[in-house]
Amino acid sequence: MSARSAQLKRDLTGWLWVSPWVIGFLAFLFGPMLVSLYYSFTDYPLLEPPIWTGLDNYRRMLSDETFRAVLWRTAKFAIIFIPLATVLALAIAGLLNGKVKAGGFFQAAVFIPTLVPMAGSAMIWLWMLNGEYGLINMTITRLFGWAGLTGANWLSDTKWAMPSIVMISLWSVGQMVIVYLAALKEVPDEMLEAAALDGMGPIRRFLSVVLPLISPVILFNVVTLMIGALQIFAIPYILSAATPGGDPRAMYFYTMYMYDNGFRYGQMGYASAQAWVQLLITLGLTAMLFIASKRLVHYRA
Amino acid sequence: MSDEPSKFSTMSRRTALAAMIAGGVGFAAFGPRGAKQTSDGRIVLDYWEKWTGHEARAMQKIIDRFNDSQNRIRVRYLTTAGIDQKALISIAAGDPPDLVGLWNYNVPQYAETGAILPLDELDVKGEVRPERYAQGFRPVLMHPDPVTKKNRQWAVVNTGGVLALYYNKQIFRDAGLDPERPPLSVEELEAANRKIMKRSGPGSKSALERAGFLHIEPGWWSWIWGYSFGGKLYDADSDRALTASPENIAGFDWVQRTSEEHGVDQTKTFKAGFGNYDSPLNAFLTGKLAMVIQGPWLANVITAHGPRDAQGRPMLDYGVIPMPVIQSQLDLNHPVGLIDCDIMVIPRGVKHPEACMEFMAYLQRQDNVETMALAHYKNSPLAVSSTAFLENHPNRGIRTFDAIAKSDRTYMVPRTRAWPQIKDELDAGLQRIWSLEKPAKDELALIQRRSQDYLDTVEAQRAQRGYGRGTKPS
Repeated sequence: MSARSAQLKRDLTGWLWVSPWVIGFLAFLFGPMLVSLYYSFTDYPLLEPPIWTGLDNYRRMLSDETFRAVLWRTAKFAIIFIPLATVLALAIAGLLNGKVKAGGFFQAAVFIPTLVPMAGSAMIWLWMLNGEYGLINMTITRLFGWAGLTGANWLSDTKWAMPSIVMISLWSVGQMVIVYLAALKEVPDEMLEAAALDGMGPIRRFLSVVLPLISPVILFNVVTLMIGALQIFAIPYILSAATPGGDPRAMYFYTMYMYDNGFRYGQMGYASAQAWVQLLITLGLTAMLFIASKRLVHYRA
Repeated sequence: MSDEPSKFSTMSRRTALAAMIAGGVGFAAFGPRGAKQTSDGRIVLDYWEKWTGHEARAMQKIIDRFNDSQNRIRVRYLTTAGIDQKALISIAAGDPPDLVGLWNYNVPQYAETGAILPLDELDVKGEVRPERYAQGFRPVLMHPDPVTKKNRQWAVVNTGGVLALYYNKQIFRDAGLDPERPPLSVEELEAANRKIMKRSGPGSKSALERAGFLHIEPGWWSWIWGYSFGGKLYDADSDRALTASPENIAGFDWVQRTSEEHGVDQTKTFKAGFGNYDSPLNAFLTGKLAMVIQGPWLANVITAHGPRDAQGRPMLDYGVIPMPVIQSQLDLNHPVGLIDCDIMVIPRGVKHPEACMEFMAYLQRQDNVETMALAHYKNSPLAVSSTAFLENHPNRGIRTFDAIAKSDRTYMVPRTRAWPQIKDELDAGLQRIWSLEKPAKDELALIQRRSQDYLDTVEAQRAQRGYGRGTKPS
């Protein structure tokens, strides 16, 4: 057997071994993506054949008030949630990185919420945030009732809906905490000691030594947070359906509108166009983050 | 060591690869697939339905009887969540179930897009023809054929549902009202609501402890209030949204008046304490709410979860009357009410439409329709009900529901494919109106504009496919 045919055989064997993934990727991700790109240029009510309409679906987004509203609401959620989640996860990781009694227990406690299915999580918070019997309002009333504070109608009050969704989403920062914790443990002690000898206080050490060293991890977490925030769906979908007397639009996000267009309104072409716009927004923002990271992220040699 | 893999490992890899490929091909060719024939040669029909629990069991009993009654067809019942969306996808994918239980508002979308089969062609024996059904239910079954523009029958009613007002007689007594003289008009309902409303203290800022009537409970029909004032939301002939008509504005002004009287924040807190609909904490069952608009199915919840006396007998004393309307619209012989019923359709692409029709006709026999209605506490959708059905019915409001179903003043969900979008606008709009964010007139004008946009988009889609309203019938 010539060396060339042996190489060819090895390549073929390799491709055959990875073929389940390749076939899965082509059949269930890449193929549907291409099809949805085609649908985005059509009028496709799902039950009838698609008709080519060019850029109509994309033009329609410009004049669609609901589209603008859900886009802004989703952006607002991302703007509030990403910094808060990053700071919270870093703070918890920082606390757990010290010499904490029963550190393993606290790590597990922080991580466990990420294992709770979204639907279960939504149901738990539905009761926690209940305006009359919820634990949060009962606690506020107990602690601050003397000052007239009794809590809020968290889910049914339009102005409290967004803070509630952010709060619920923050409950699941455990995975980020674990990643940050691993990164913090990688920071060399000798660098921190040298910084301390140079007279740096803990805050200065954190800002000037720790933060640059873990910045690649922060970038990774911010990118994944951003993708997740732009795709928020399950929790507001369940909460808005299950909230008595709530404004159904207060928790109406981009992906929910896209889903409704595709599967409830019979506008699969329009939904496909929205999906592509969402992908382009995500790609654009990710690219911006990576460009910014050239100046802000420090990679150790 | 040579780079060449050993003979043994090459063989193992080859064997593994061959096994994987063979497995994949075998799975694709012979893998699990809904068997469409039983071992004894019967046709298998898959029937998707939304019901679970006792409602599903009642249907399963009838299916079992059907399966035992003949030896050619076997029906398999499958409870399906999100049934309208899943049916839509399965029909689009060309692999639909044989029969689907949907909601009445699904008919326009499914009929216009050719997703379901017209029944008038299949019903050669005339066993499910529209005349068999009570007057209020007939329009639900019909929709114009997109091509010929002729009205055709696309569905049968699986179980009938009509909305009416339930009221708690004990609370009426406590509030000094006559329980045998319930409010028949909107004006009387408002007066009763004021008398029943109970607060934790003096002043409008104090907490609500009991309400007479809340437009947002259960909140399933956010859009019906104008109908009590003689209005409607949509004109099918002109394809125009009528949301901002004076009658609808009057209906939603009523919503705002009631909201002002209760207090928005107070009502939100009060309502947050309501339990689930199908539970002992249902606000009507706990006595927090004295009157509620509901279908006949609420009587089932009352029986299952309502308060009981020491002997275990249901003790909630309630009555059922038609939905109140304004005094000028009041006519007790022609009550007003929303038809909200479950329907059954045959998707396009089924292999045995005649067998589907045979099962459908069996289900629609009077005895079976009444068995189902009794089990679900609902009224019969048929024009004629047996005396035994009305006399032995467990729902004490059955005669009211039956009278509404047979009235010539019932209404139904606007018959347009754009309804899901319009309903979402109305649901959100009701919240803004109810929470006093905007005057009803302004909000309804906005909803009307948006609704008309949705209607126009659907019409443009129809026109693109050659069956727009302006297209001549073929």
